[in-house]
Amino acid sequence: MYINAASTISHQPTFQNAGFSKLIEPLDESAELISPNYKEYIDAGLLRRMSKILRMSVAAAKDCLKQAEIEQPGAIIVGTGLGCLQDTEKFLNTFLSVEGLLPPTSFIQSTHNTIAGQISLSIGNHGYNMTHTQNTLSFEHALIDTSLLLGEGKDNIITGAADEHIAFLDEAADQLNMHPKYDITSGASFFVLNKEKSERSIAALKDVKTVGLVQDIDAEIDTFLSDNFLNVSEVDLILYSDLSANGRVDSIAHKYFNEHYHIDSKMINYTKLSGLYPTNSAFAMHYAVDRIQQHPELKKVLILNGSNKINLGLTLIESLEA
Amino acid sequence: MAVRITGLGIISAIGLTVAENLFSLENSRSGIAPVKYLDSKKDFLVGEVKRSNAELADHLGIKSLPISRTSLLGLAAAREAWGTNRHTKELRTGIISATSVGGMDTTEQFYEDYLDKNNPDYTVLKCHDSGNTTERIAAELGISGYINTLSTACSSGANAIMLGARLIEQGKLDRVLVGGTDALTNFTINGFRSLMIYDDQWCRPFDESRTGLNLGEGAAFLLLESDKSVRFSGNSTICCLSGWANAADAYHQTASSPEGTGATMAIQNAIEVSGLSALDISYVNAHGTGTKNNDLSESTAMINVFGDNIPDFSSTKPFTGHTLAAAGAIEAVFSVLAIQKGLIFPNLNYKTPIAETGLEPITELQKDQPVLAVLSNSFGFGGNNSSLVFSVYR
Repeated sequence: MYINAASTISHQPTFQNAGFSKLIEPLDESAELISPNYKEYIDAGLLRRMSKILRMSVAAAKDCLKQAEIEQPGAIIVGTGLGCLQDTEKFLNTFLSVEGLLPPTSFIQSTHNTIAGQISLSIGNHGYNMTHTQNTLSFEHALIDTSLLLGEGKDNIITGAADEHIAFLDEAADQLNMHPKYDITSGASFFVLNKEKSERSIAALKDVKTVGLVQDIDAEIDTFLSDNFLNVSEVDLILYSDLSANGRVDSIAHKYFNEHYHIDSKMINYTKLSGLYPTNSAFAMHYAVDRIQQHPELKKVLILNGSNKINLGLTLIESLEA
Repeated sequence: MAVRITGLGIISAIGLTVAENLFSLENSRSGIAPVKYLDSKKDFLVGEVKRSNAELADHLGIKSLPISRTSLLGLAAAREAWGTNRHTKELRTGIISATSVGGMDTTEQFYEDYLDKNNPDYTVLKCHDSGNTTERIAAELGISGYINTLSTACSSGANAIMLGARLIEQGKLDRVLVGGTDALTNFTINGFRSLMIYDDQWCRPFDESRTGLNLGEGAAFLLLESDKSVRFSGNSTICCLSGWANAADAYHQTASSPEGTGATMAIQNAIEVSGLSALDISYVNAHGTGTKNNDLSESTAMINVFGDNIPDFSSTKPFTGHTLAAAGAIEAVFSVLAIQKGLIFPNLNYKTPIAETGLEPITELQKDQPVLAVLSNSFGFGGNNSSLVFSVYR
């Protein structure tokens, strides 16, 4: 598959900022979500009622369409780990405390597929419309679905992922004695994917795999590499995330490279850049694409998603010349 | 290329197993009654599974708590569908579930305690996320590898089935358990109340006097296998899943377009994928929620596709209630039973056709019918429309 456009709204200056991968540093605590002027992408009347995750997703998706110069994508596929939390929280509060007639807006907007639904509504798209929600592997599953669609003859597919931070998440993490090393953040990353290479293409998505309830991480990575006829020494950059107590993925990545954050380092913990949210591997993919665009010598990038210790996501991105 | 269906599992308001559900369908026994198991403030009419969480956990032998009702229901149905199949390295096995509430049944209880500052139990939040409910089921059945969950409101179950079929067809998996599960929650009951489409009376799909839906809960799974997989498993094929399609309405966040645009496309495309023609469809198991909007939109879509030759059709939601993400899967099981047993199920509680369309559903059980192909519709919020075509295995 070929990536023809990429757009991310996050706590980093990623939006409409090609080359951001050269500028950004690991997030510090004070970093806020960097929002564009949403009115440029979304009608004011609709915008008023849209939660954070909805406005981020619609704006990033529309930006992608503009970059790829297409009006109607062949399909819209979204991955989200926790869905529309702001509206879910709002409706919980509403029905638990209000008597009589309840305002429906937050209920309507609480369902996970509101994201993909609002994108299709905003552009009048009738194509295949899907929402994957497999916590940290939601984006990878959306990509696998995309590859199926491309095999079925659809093209110009918008695929992305988003998750939003709400204050309650910090409270819950605290109460559950989960003290993540990284701040919980929000992010939305969208891409346009095509079957054939064209002059619009900016990178190639070679392979993506999900392993739920993973038993042997080493073996899975080895198999993924050999399935793609790759030796790990041929991988130019590894983007990884690992939140397990014993740092399994971390240690595997370290087996081959020494990690220290540096623009030239071959191994980068992407959660340090994006902050923590279930679908931050989509941020990693955009980062990979941006790096490839900036550095022609970067040929193969491997994304190891070990954010959830029971799952593993593997993605291989290559430059067009690879 | 059709995909083989070799296993079925279901738990709903009308039965705890496939056999019990079939018995209820054959005897017009609806499962809709005043709410009993859910701790609800008002006496809504709902389609509850007639077992408490403790009874379900006990029956399933669940030791590791907390666990959401959504997971319990899903596990019951998935176990029945998986049956005595065994794991083997030779076959790539997956599971795709669908849910709209996930662990909301436990989360909303937590949140009430949280708002009342009444010692809320934060550990139940670990059950909340939709993906987690599927992981619980996968872990209990020993499935690892491709584990996925879809969430597209009322069309979710059908979409999970469709995705499984496409993964087999494109050679990514050899066999896959597909289905959906949703427990009843105050969140969804109140949600549909806020939209003014929850009926205080027993729902009346396709009836002129219809005023809304009754919610239900439940789960259903089907085991889909490729030719290679059945050579290993030796399972006999119950029937085939031969057609599928998903289309977006892009009309409104909750209402379906009156012209039935998305629905028409979903039905037409599913029939096309099946290689059959509209005339080959013996029975339509409609989405038929009983809302003013859906039933008109769906009727219009059927007229668009079938013209004057509308097949026998019915909604089985007066039996089970609207089971949200489970609906597409529960009704897929009913569609398979229709083919297997040669039955056409009745649309209960119907009297008068919708004035604008004049369409009349089947109101009495039809037996010994040549049911060769069934169309099952699931149309959801956000204008997400899905249709599946099941056909006899030859």
